[in-house]
Amino acid sequence: MENEKFGMDARQQTDLKDPSRRSFIKQSSLLTAVALTPATALKAAEDHLDEQIAGVLEKLPLRMEVNGEMHNLSVEPRATLLDILREEMDLTGTKKGCDHGQCGACTVHVDGQRVNSCLTLGIMVNGKKVTTIEGLAKGDVLHPMQEAFLKHDGFQCGYCTPGQIMSAVACINEGHANSEGEIREYMSGNICRCGAYPNIVNAIMDVKNGGMEA
Amino acid sequence: MKQFQYVKASSNAGVITAISKPGTKIIAGGTNLVDLMKRGVTAPDRLVDITHLPLKSINITGKGLHIGALALNSVVAENALVVEKHPLLAMALKAGASPQLRNMATVGGNMMQRTRCTYFYDTAMPCNKRAPGTGCGAIGGINRMHAIFGTSSKCIAVHPSDMCVALAALDATVIIAGPKGQRTLQFTEFHRLPGEHPELDNHLATGEMILSVEIPDNNFAKNSYYLKVRDRQSYAFALVSVAAALDIQNGVIRGARLAMGGVAHKPWRLFEVEKSLIGKKPTEENFAQAAQLAMQGAKAYEYNAFKLKLAPATIAEALKHASGLV
Amino acid sequence: MEEAIKTAIPSSADGMSRIDGRAKVTGKAKYAAEYRPDGLAYGVLAGSTIAKGTVTAIDIARAEKAPGVLAVVTHFNSPKVPGHQKPKKPTKKAGPILVFNDNVIHYNGQPIAMVIADTYERALYAASLVKATYNKQAHDTKPPSDISMGIAPWGKDSVRGEADAWKNAPFKLEQEYVIPTEVHNPMELHAIIAKWDGADKLTVWDKTQGTQATRDDIAKAFNIPAANVQVIAKFVGGAFGSALQVWPHEIAAILGAKLVRRPVKLVLHRQDMFTSVGHRPYTWQKVGIGATADGKLVGITHEAVGQTSTYEDFAEGPINVSKGLYACPNVTTRYKLLSLNIGTPTWMRGPGEATGAFALESALDELSYQVKIDPVQLRLINYAKVDPENGKPYSSKYLDEAYKMGADQIGWENRRQEAGAVKKDGWLVGYGMGGGMFGAYRDSATVKAVMRADGTLLLQTAVTDIGPGTGTAMVLIAADIMGLPADKIKFEMGDSSLPNAPMQGGSATTATVGGAVYDACTELKQKFQKLIGNGGTDNPDYAKILSDKNLAGLDVTTQSSLGADAQNKYSMQAWSVHFTRVLVHPATGVVKIDKVVSVADSGKVISQKTARSQLIGGAIGGIGMALMEDAIIDHRYGRYVNNNFADYHVPVNADIPQMEALFVNKPDSHINAMGAKGMAEISLIGMAAAVANAVFNATGKRVRDLPITPDKLI
Repeated sequence: MENEKFGMDARQQTDLKDPSRRSFIKQSSLLTAVALTPATALKAAEDHLDEQIAGVLEKLPLRMEVNGEMHNLSVEPRATLLDILREEMDLTGTKKGCDHGQCGACTVHVDGQRVNSCLTLGIMVNGKKVTTIEGLAKGDVLHPMQEAFLKHDGFQCGYCTPGQIMSAVACINEGHANSEGEIREYMSGNICRCGAYPNIVNAIMDVKNGGMEA
Repeated sequence: MKQFQYVKASSNAGVITAISKPGTKIIAGGTNLVDLMKRGVTAPDRLVDITHLPLKSINITGKGLHIGALALNSVVAENALVVEKHPLLAMALKAGASPQLRNMATVGGNMMQRTRCTYFYDTAMPCNKRAPGTGCGAIGGINRMHAIFGTSSKCIAVHPSDMCVALAALDATVIIAGPKGQRTLQFTEFHRLPGEHPELDNHLATGEMILSVEIPDNNFAKNSYYLKVRDRQSYAFALVSVAAALDIQNGVIRGARLAMGGVAHKPWRLFEVEKSLIGKKPTEENFAQAAQLAMQGAKAYEYNAFKLKLAPATIAEALKHASGLV
Repeated sequence: MEEAIKTAIPSSADGMSRIDGRAKVTGKAKYAAEYRPDGLAYGVLAGSTIAKGTVTAIDIARAEKAPGVLAVVTHFNSPKVPGHQKPKKPTKKAGPILVFNDNVIHYNGQPIAMVIADTYERALYAASLVKATYNKQAHDTKPPSDISMGIAPWGKDSVRGEADAWKNAPFKLEQEYVIPTEVHNPMELHAIIAKWDGADKLTVWDKTQGTQATRDDIAKAFNIPAANVQVIAKFVGGAFGSALQVWPHEIAAILGAKLVRRPVKLVLHRQDMFTSVGHRPYTWQKVGIGATADGKLVGITHEAVGQTSTYEDFAEGPINVSKGLYACPNVTTRYKLLSLNIGTPTWMRGPGEATGAFALESALDELSYQVKIDPVQLRLINYAKVDPENGKPYSSKYLDEAYKMGADQIGWENRRQEAGAVKKDGWLVGYGMGGGMFGAYRDSATVKAVMRADGTLLLQTAVTDIGPGTGTAMVLIAADIMGLPADKIKFEMGDSSLPNAPMQGGSATTATVGGAVYDACTELKQKFQKLIGNGGTDNPDYAKILSDKNLAGLDVTTQSSLGADAQNKYSMQAWSVHFTRVLVHPATGVVKIDKVVSVADSGKVISQKTARSQLIGGAIGGIGMALMEDAIIDHRYGRYVNNNFADYHVPVNADIPQMEALFVNKPDSHINAMGAKGMAEISLIGMAAAVANAVFNATGKRVRDLPITPDKLI
């Protein structure tokens, strides 16, 4: 059983004693028995029974490192990483622009790779490292990309900016910042409605030419 | 989004058992599935996370290049073997989605992604694919992005993938595991045409999962090109896209592979055009002539008639790029 | 003000960086949905799925039972919003949607229910369980296609000189131009957090372009004193006009918060941004234009029909450019509105003038090929030295210089007057230009300027900054007057409880609030100079004076506006011209923007870095207008089909080349002491025509119905 790994809290431990839950785990013996949505809740949802029952227990433990700090959370499996960051953890630097992977405002790094946090289920980040815009600066010392965005005015309203910066850092780390054209293509997953694109390209070129440290 | 049960499978067999039960879906990158769940297009009771399974490898086997179903789109696009042996695939992958999405999306997930037809996505609209029997919103509706080949009275949606267009052109095969064991399918036979059952996108049976794709060795690496025509320069679905691969020896075309995206419910392989190019010289005239053959059986709707003109133009242009004329 | 404003080609690194830039690059800038009052609950709206009719029933039973749900609000159970009285006298149109007030559906997607739950996921799910049944009526969402449709909001035609005189000109043309519906789509979703602090006391964090206008509207709706409503909008993630008014979702959230006795956060979904917070209206236009052989304009007739909603009229000025841009003796304009089952449109950057400039500047380009006169020359031939509508002199106008600067920078001499003549690497090359004008407005604003004991200056006013860099410009103005370094000045804004300021809109903020900052700082400095006597010094040591005089601080509160004299004497306008070079692929119809030079004649530039960004940003909005933006309704259902960022295309980074922004940078001495005029609108106005004209120059294909997508060029 992997339950220990997830550091399940007492409430969920108790839940394991639930007979219907045990039988569920038994019948899915080929599945790794990770923390599961309680069968009572699931049953209610499946049969469209009283939704109130399903509300009792429906969270899973989520352990992830965010900006260098380990967090133990309890989340619904349907909660996206974006909503967990913004609503549970008050890390509102990561923005919701479309909620459908169509704008890039929610871009964060998971294990060093840029992803759309709006299409990432939080539970699937279990055991991984997440970096958000709040984790980029070292104390008061801004990351060179943040400095470059400031210097080149790589934004106006600032709403897409955290996503742009997270994407820009990844763009260089991936080796996709070798020309203005390449930067434009590899920054096209981040929409800026104010139209700061040329300034964003200048900022990235500046950092790239200055030999940014990842 | 409806609450669902989230489980992880410890093996392929576990996945197969899990997805044999109705209401269960595999989740990997989630870039399409989570979106569909948010919109209420699909509402699974249970998700099986397979991202930790050992299906990520990209390596050479006796049958060619093997790419695991869980290999990320971004990883495949940059992989040295892929770039060297099948640059067409790398080009197609880079033409799709955004860098962030490619970092999440897997090869198997890309194959399983569903149409981007707007009527499919809006649960207030009719759609036979989402809700069989409700009608097709796109027929008689806003169908600028829709199919011109292989449509049916039930559905005119297109498959949105770029990667799949390249894989269809490159004679790839799909390795599938299911309750009855493993089987292999030609990539061109993996996706379906809508026919009477547009709710089915492909030929996977209940309980089956994709393990990998394999691309046989070929002589196309030197002369291949993926051309995607879209409404903006990046991060947009294709109006028409063409995967073109040529084997040119001594100034004569010895082999050709062509497939189109944005025109059908599946990647649209152009066998007739390929045949017609064999033995020809790679010239603009020959390409334009061959491209016209692609259009047999094409049928336009109110807003997509431009594809009848754009498709052959894009084929010819892609061939020019592939052969080095451009 | 910054010393050496580069009039050559400013780069993105020139000038002072934004005062709020650090907050924006670190993620610390807090937008409307990012506050956390205790007990916060989440509201999610459910929208109608028909475009016209009535709601007969709403099944909320499952939603109410869903986990975490605190309330499900519909018009059946909603407490009435006190200020939501139906007009006593029945007028033609009832006015804005009164949310949850009745069962009438005016457009598809209109909010019909709101679920409030303890978490966002639960609210969202429960909202999906709400099922409405309707009595559906035949709707009409099909936009206008000629002037016979619709009604004239301002009555008769406007005729200067002889009506329809263009018809008598030796060179003439008449063409129709169409701008589809465009959606503001700022990156930040419209959002509000409403928190009741008592029975008649309210705090809201809201996405708004005007904290005080929003405060007043909310106070009126809920029948409470305006002083009891505090509206906070410290950071606004773009708006472009969509946050110039209070929309139904804001009232819904406030209502909901009262109902559940908890603060409620409500964030719209991207699809709601298409239906419920305005749009640039689809507008059909026809322009008839005629000239003599030497290019002198004989007459212009400009007709326009815009769409509006069935419940509220929205009128704007697409025909204004034809009245004012050129010295033409005979100008006839007609404007009508057609009422449809859509949400009410609203001002979108450049507003009607951008719509009108596309038509007029395209028509002028077409004329240039007829009379065989270079388009820049044609404009200079018809250059207006005084306002052609009223004969008033301009407070300042250097548009001719702007033409020259732009033409030089783009390499206009490489343009060929015949279309389709230039090819490069298999692509067709074309040059185009288009310009525009917008009224230079200055409203009234009040600024409080406080010099604190430590010698730092605090400026306070209720204005918001939706992105242009208002605070940065204000600090630069204050720094210049006070002789202080910018980092000693704090600009506090975005709160209705601060001194009065108008909404950020109509390109008026810099002139208005800047004027007030100028006056307040001037007054404060004089106060110091008086304190030390002997007429004072030019650079007082404020901290020392306060300390010497044993004062904790010194402040002034100054109200400032444009004098009536200036208004009566002068026509005040800001001007722009955009030059583009485009590449068009002959086989696939793909258009690439290769080079852009935008030139603004907007008076003195206050903040070089942010002004440059604003001009570039507006031009990029114009590229979106020209090449991709088009909100499409399936008229069978009266419902938007591309209501998301994947299907409603706005430019991405790959669409945009390096952009050059130039400024004439000559002060307008009549509008305010700084000589600065606004430039938000002119940044966009004329750009779509500049692109369309370049596409014609490249291909010989004139696209008069935007956007210019590949299918229209093959």
